[in-house]
Amino acid sequence: MGLVARAIEKAGIPTVTLNMIWAYQNLVGMPRIAAIEHPFGRPYGDVDDAGTQMAVLRAALDVFVRAREPGHVEHLPFIWPHDPAETNWHPSEPSPIIAMIKRNQKNR
Amino acid sequence: MTEPHRVDPWRFAGGFLQKVLSSQIPDEPTHGPIPWTPVTRPLADSKVALLSTAGLSMKDDVPFDMEMERANPTRGDSSWRKLSVRATSADILANHLHIDTSYILRDLNVALPVDRLHALVEDGVVGSLADTHYSTMGYQGSSTRELEQKSAPEIAEHMKGQEVDLALLAPV
Repeated sequence: MGLVARAIEKAGIPTVTLNMIWAYQNLVGMPRIAAIEHPFGRPYGDVDDAGTQMAVLRAALDVFVRAREPGHVEHLPFIWPHDPAETNWHPSEPSPIIAMIKRNQKNR
Repeated sequence: MTEPHRVDPWRFAGGFLQKVLSSQIPDEPTHGPIPWTPVTRPLADSKVALLSTAGLSMKDDVPFDMEMERANPTRGDSSWRKLSVRATSADILANHLHIDTSYILRDLNVALPVDRLHALVEDGVVGSLADTHYSTMGYQGSSTRELEQKSAPEIAEHMKGQEVDLALLAPV
């Protein structure tokens, strides 16, 4: 995603990237990051939680106004209402690469 | 006064994924200069486009290719799709093997807040909507070359053609 943000920014359009694993995705260097502690698959909030979705959208859009220099990282204050142990985001079966890594570890 | 919240990037990742991903983060940044385009007009006068990496496609469009990734786990579909700004969960497919996509299929706004953005345009907070929103599929496997050299510039070019002022991107 960082690569896409960079290309869009390079073309003359400012970008904000709303980002959960910002420390990893920022490896490529992103212009503006709105970091958020939400589970994978639901960056803006939970199903039918229009209030949180709107608040996150507005907070992310506000980063356009506040960021002054490239590499800006802003930590959004949203707290997911459930513990990670009670929050499912995983696919019903492990992704092919995860399955492959685990298979290789087992065979080592 | 309380300390400002600092986002823990690994809170939901789990130990295994954290280990795999954090081992790839160097101590010092290795990227070159970060591109920068200053924001020159107020949000209320700006045309906004959304982009999600959830592998979203309109049902009448070609879906993202999951069979290729199943056959070769080190590869991910590097193409991109245009999405109707009026899309709902009923109009789209979500193809992404690394997340539970069922939430998106119940409420598209969890990953692409089309309805919320419409409301902001109606309220005058945001100037206008782009003609389309966009999706890629986040997992690129061992090579980001095609995404970087083909899809990313194509998306940027398309946004320019639509006179998009601000692009809000959200990986899933």
